[in-house]
Amino acid sequence: MESMIELRELTKRYGGTTAVDRLSFEVRPGVVTGFLGPNGAGKSTTMRMMLGLHRPTSGEALIGGRRYDRIRRPLHEVGAVLDADAAHPGRSAFTHLACLARSNGIGRARVHGVLEQVGLSGVARKRVGGFSLGMRQRLGIAGALLGDPAVVLLDEPVNGLDAAGIRWIRSTLRALAAEGRTVLLSSHLMSEMALTVDRVLIIGRGRLLEDTSVAEMRHRFERDVLVRTPRPAELTTLLIRLGATVTGTGDGDLIAAGVDAPAIGDAAAAAGIPIHGLTPRSATLEDVYLQMTEEAAEYRAASATPEENHR
Amino acid sequence: MTLLQTRPATEAAAPSHPFRDAVAAEWMKVRTLRSTWAFLAGGVIATALGALILFFLVQSYDAATPAERANYETADPTVVTMPFVMFFVGAIGAMLITSEYTTRSIGPALLAVPQRYLLFGAKATVAGLTGLVCGAVFALLAFADARLLLGNRPQPINPWPQWTDAVPTVLCATLVVMVTCMVAMGIGAVVRSTAAALTTLGGLVLVAPIFAHFLPTVWQLRLASVLLPNLTPQLAGSNHPYLLSQGGAAAVTAGYVLLALAAGAISSRRRDS
Repeated sequence: MESMIELRELTKRYGGTTAVDRLSFEVRPGVVTGFLGPNGAGKSTTMRMMLGLHRPTSGEALIGGRRYDRIRRPLHEVGAVLDADAAHPGRSAFTHLACLARSNGIGRARVHGVLEQVGLSGVARKRVGGFSLGMRQRLGIAGALLGDPAVVLLDEPVNGLDAAGIRWIRSTLRALAAEGRTVLLSSHLMSEMALTVDRVLIIGRGRLLEDTSVAEMRHRFERDVLVRTPRPAELTTLLIRLGATVTGTGDGDLIAAGVDAPAIGDAAAAAGIPIHGLTPRSATLEDVYLQMTEEAAEYRAASATPEENHR
Repeated sequence: MTLLQTRPATEAAAPSHPFRDAVAAEWMKVRTLRSTWAFLAGGVIATALGALILFFLVQSYDAATPAERANYETADPTVVTMPFVMFFVGAIGAMLITSEYTTRSIGPALLAVPQRYLLFGAKATVAGLTGLVCGAVFALLAFADARLLLGNRPQPINPWPQWTDAVPTVLCATLVVMVTCMVAMGIGAVVRSTAAALTTLGGLVLVAPIFAHFLPTVWQLRLASVLLPNLTPQLAGSNHPYLLSQGGAAAVTAGYVLLALAAGAISSRRRDS
């Protein structure tokens, strides 16, 4: 597929440290794919290898079947933002983009067009050094869109943005994917990703931990059911007979694991036990993500308790 | 806010000239760096100071006796001003690459032109063109100073009694500024830091010639003969105390370019950005 990203056994070592360890995955067009992992997991290194800025120790990263550094005039095929601060502060927004555009045979009209799209037309002639972080993020995205590319890669695009900026990035990315583009964005925050992405690739210590959809992830990590009943002892016996593991909450409610809410309701109705409340509890995506990456996290505060890590 | 127009099915079918486009982009970059204009202003100031020194020298010459006049050294303004011009124009070449590393704009530059040798070649071309144009302008300014201030005074103070005598020196001074600009760019690609590149460049064109004076005479001449500022008279074949023939000076000049550009190109290719 022309706009697909493929990683094959991609590996990067710095001396004795393996930053990215035989990473293989595919990113498909039409959806927003999140690339998640704690700080130091290897996300940025992986993205920089995809874009030819870092040389892999072994393996390869292909975009549309080619290595990035083999693409002539790549801005027409791939747009990327790796660093919001990567514009010369002394140049104006327009000049910064015009230099990039000129190198790929893109005209000035398109530069005006992308500045309009990201809402920076009014400050096009102002120096980038005076821009806020949000404006620089927008400028980076304008640069990524210059060549109207089929593949868009963004490294931590919401870092440091205010709520309006985050919402703008989110809607922009969803619009890009809806147009059939391949969109990959990295983040270390699951809470951000849950609202933005359709698929997630989770890495820890340079290894792929999970490649799944957000919906599948939610489903898979449904945890237990909170049951409220005036006859807990009888219901406990009944649920154990169904194969559930039952614990009390201390205030009379029950937590049943290993059996789903409809089965509990049906069994209680058949036995004539009243049910006052039945609440399926799933782990939040943040919980799941933290559980997955806990062991793989590169840097953790020594004082962090398991309770805090799971909150 | 509207986000995006519908993607066109294919990209505009413009003819593809990646190297020409990369050179055009680098030319735009060098024109839009404020430091470029600051360094050019430095070159203008150095030239003006050179003219001032020459003015005082001519005044002193005119007040001297004929016997004293015969002992005056040649007042070739390229000797006084061109090392400073080489530093300022060379700094523009170095900044072509170090400004991108220090501001991290090397990232977008490499995303736009990921073929490292192509990008490096485009920068080297722009450094060479910048050095050529600026070198020619400043060498001609130095020549104009000499013509205006020395008039028809005789040798030895007047290096060029006829204007045609200055042609080889002006051409070779231009060439040496161009070479310095490319060498500085190569140094910039290796060290990736503006401070380190400008210090190295300053050492090469301003400090090393002074340092050479402190060496024993034999070594002084050997070292001085291969220093960039001293290549101009050797290339031009004018009167000079150095050791190289014109061919030898041409070989050393070519060696500077090849060494600096090869080191810069290899560094660009091999190291992560």
